[in-house]
Amino acid sequence: MDISPSEAQEALAAIEIVAQKTRQSIAGSGAYVTLISTGIVWLGGFMATQFLPEGVVPHIWLGLSIVGGTLGTIMGLRAGRRVRNPSTAPMAKRIGLFWLLLVLYGGAAIAVLSPMDGRQLTVLITLFVMVGHMAMGLLFSFTSVWWVLPISALVLIGYWLFPGWFYLWMSLLGGGGMIALGLIIRSRW
Amino acid sequence: MPELNEFIHQAVRLRIMAALVALEPASEVDFTHLRDLLQVTDGNLGAHLRKLEEAGYIAVDKVFVERKPRTYVSATREGRRAFEEHVATLESILRSE
Repeated sequence: MDISPSEAQEALAAIEIVAQKTRQSIAGSGAYVTLISTGIVWLGGFMATQFLPEGVVPHIWLGLSIVGGTLGTIMGLRAGRRVRNPSTAPMAKRIGLFWLLLVLYGGAAIAVLSPMDGRQLTVLITLFVMVGHMAMGLLFSFTSVWWVLPISALVLIGYWLFPGWFYLWMSLLGGGGMIALGLIIRSRW
Repeated sequence: MPELNEFIHQAVRLRIMAALVALEPASEVDFTHLRDLLQVTDGNLGAHLRKLEEAGYIAVDKVFVERKPRTYVSATREGRRAFEEHVATLESILRSE
């Protein structure tokens, strides 16, 4: 079978388009859904923490977390039905156990280090969650974990450099950054 | 120069293999999602999947999820190797221009 270089180029272009669409729709779906839903929770929650009275803030966080968690779970389940990986399916229980233990260890660390102010508590919880995401990525070769490092760095920069505006920093750069990254992945991955 | 793989080079089969090889090894994609991704009909996709399965390039797994039948498709190791060789041949044709 002989084809011309232009036909070869067309075939390679077709392959690249399909591969990119596949990555965008499958590999990227988990990343952008997680990023956008978590970003919305952070944006609203930390903005409220910065500007609203203390009594209102926990209720806002609770509401946002329930909405964000539900949205992320529904979208995650939908993405999970599109693609499955039998080699990682048996690991589901271990993954659940890992997150449960991470929560318990995080709680223990917070209890030992208490009393802490709101900023310290925020950073500690955020770092524990980021460690969890990073571990998932490293162990299972998920394609959606590279964002953990810049978000963690932003959290630490805000904590040390802008203590007075920490929550606003977390809202705009942490939450807004996640939303922006999610949208970039959605459109360009 | 190595020979082009005529079987894979057919337009729909080429796009099917490109989609499957873009997944992580051992990952399987749902039939309906693959159909939507490639914008082909059920019948057209089914026919080409059967041919690819007969050639040993893909594996098809039919299961029930929440009492509904679902078909998952993945590239076999042989399929990945054949596709990569085909892409390498296309690239060598382009370089020889």
